[in-house]
Amino acid sequence: MSSLQALQQQLLQAVLSERTPATLPLVRADGIADTGSRLEVYRHGYRVRLRDALKQEFPGLHHMAGAQFERLLDKYVAAHPSEHYNIRWYGAGLAAFLDYARPWRDRPALAEMARVDWAISIAFDAADEPSANIAELSAVAPEAWPGLQLSLQQNLHVLDCRFNTAAFRRAADQGGKRPRLRRLQQPRQLLVWRKDSSVHYRQLEVDEWQALGAAIRGEPFAALCAQLAAYHAQASALPRMVALLQGWLEAGLIRGWSFA
Amino acid sequence: MSTSTIGLPYLGYGLGLRTEHYQDLLADPGQVEWLEIVSENYLVNGGLPLIWLQRFRERFPLVMHGVSLSIGSTDPLDEDYLSRLARLARRIEPAWVSDHLCWTGVQGVNLHDLMPLPYTEEALEHVAGRVRQVQDRLKRRILLENVSSYVSFADSQLSEWEFLAAVAERADCLILLDINNVHVSAMNHGFSALDYLRGIPVSRVQQFHLAGYEQGEHLIIDTHDAPVSHAVWDLYIEAVRRFGRVSTMIERDDNFPPLAELRAELEHARTLAEPLLRNAA
Repeated sequence: MSSLQALQQQLLQAVLSERTPATLPLVRADGIADTGSRLEVYRHGYRVRLRDALKQEFPGLHHMAGAQFERLLDKYVAAHPSEHYNIRWYGAGLAAFLDYARPWRDRPALAEMARVDWAISIAFDAADEPSANIAELSAVAPEAWPGLQLSLQQNLHVLDCRFNTAAFRRAADQGGKRPRLRRLQQPRQLLVWRKDSSVHYRQLEVDEWQALGAAIRGEPFAALCAQLAAYHAQASALPRMVALLQGWLEAGLIRGWSFA
Repeated sequence: MSTSTIGLPYLGYGLGLRTEHYQDLLADPGQVEWLEIVSENYLVNGGLPLIWLQRFRERFPLVMHGVSLSIGSTDPLDEDYLSRLARLARRIEPAWVSDHLCWTGVQGVNLHDLMPLPYTEEALEHVAGRVRQVQDRLKRRILLENVSSYVSFADSQLSEWEFLAAVAERADCLILLDINNVHVSAMNHGFSALDYLRGIPVSRVQQFHLAGYEQGEHLIIDTHDAPVSHAVWDLYIEAVRRFGRVSTMIERDDNFPPLAELRAELEHARTLAEPLLRNAA
């Protein structure tokens, strides 16, 4: 190991350590400030920067965790050194941390909230993709529709939610009051996507999720309609599918299509 | 007094581009002649950051300023980072690309801080070699900025300015001189800021940063979140006397005031520098 490498490793350990070392032989002593105070500038700065970055990316979690939020961040920072050059990506492991670390794992809404916040965060600067419009889709010949396979935006995320997590995020975004945490009767799906430069999120209707899920799996249009038939009478299934399709196109969820 | 002799343009007086000032800056550029972006904010795949960046690219000369190159680290250079940096440089064709003379992490851990180096022959050779690698990759000379520091090392054989000058000469790169950082480190380590300026080769200095700091109990903390201090303005005058016409900008990283306040600081820089430059011409 080179002496430069050794120096960097020792300084790294001093910054990551739980308590600032009072002395470190590699640091030059002088009469201006003691070594402990000098190292503390770096040790403190590291933690502040990581906490600030997390606060930026997890407003819903901040709202939900309330007074516990700072402690939660401290624990995550202590357990997870940052590995990515972009500090924004430091939050990528927060939901998984909340899944397994006590006492947070006993409050599963927190991990779910972190996943929602993170999906919104990464949709913000995901790759730009073209989106199809209604006029283009109208040109598809009627006999080709049953085999039509929709291609959806890659920056679209569907998250399974067991709690009213979206309400917390919405309240955080709009400066609203902290909602009351509620467990949903049935898990529901939250759709997160970006249209042009704006990130959106909304809860999917049960039937819509069945059809959209089939589209994401690459199933043809006939199979999407079959999914809706389980929820609607024969006469209303097709109009419902048309309405959904129109909504997906307007929301910019559809990139294009191909034929099975 | 002389001016930079190594081929990059003089841009005048600029600001660091921050989201807080996007709207105001586009609505009224005023006397702001160029902008410095933080490269990492735009190393993304798409979305709003790149849309804004394009708008500014159409209105201002831009320069790229990174915080993650980690040129002094003993970890390998981050290939993904370099590829993205090169792609962004191709996209916006900045007047130049800069980063810091420091290391930001080691053993795969990133401290997101500008950690100082020991000023040794070993570190000098290591850094100069990596600068050459980066310059080959980006196909351009880069600028390295002096950082504020709170520790110095028992092993150091050179002063900070001797080390910076030697890296620039050995790697054939340029210098971004942060006047605030010179002052902060001078106070924190007890050296003369004027000796520092006198030790930097005039022809290598391409850009100045001006910024503010916070006075701690024993140390000065480089927060870049306050107006430029009197001591730094005084040092800026000395820097203009020595280095001549150098592209100058106000760098604010936190506690953002209204754009008008930063414009006023920038105008103050112009007011201080221009008479000296005219007299020297």
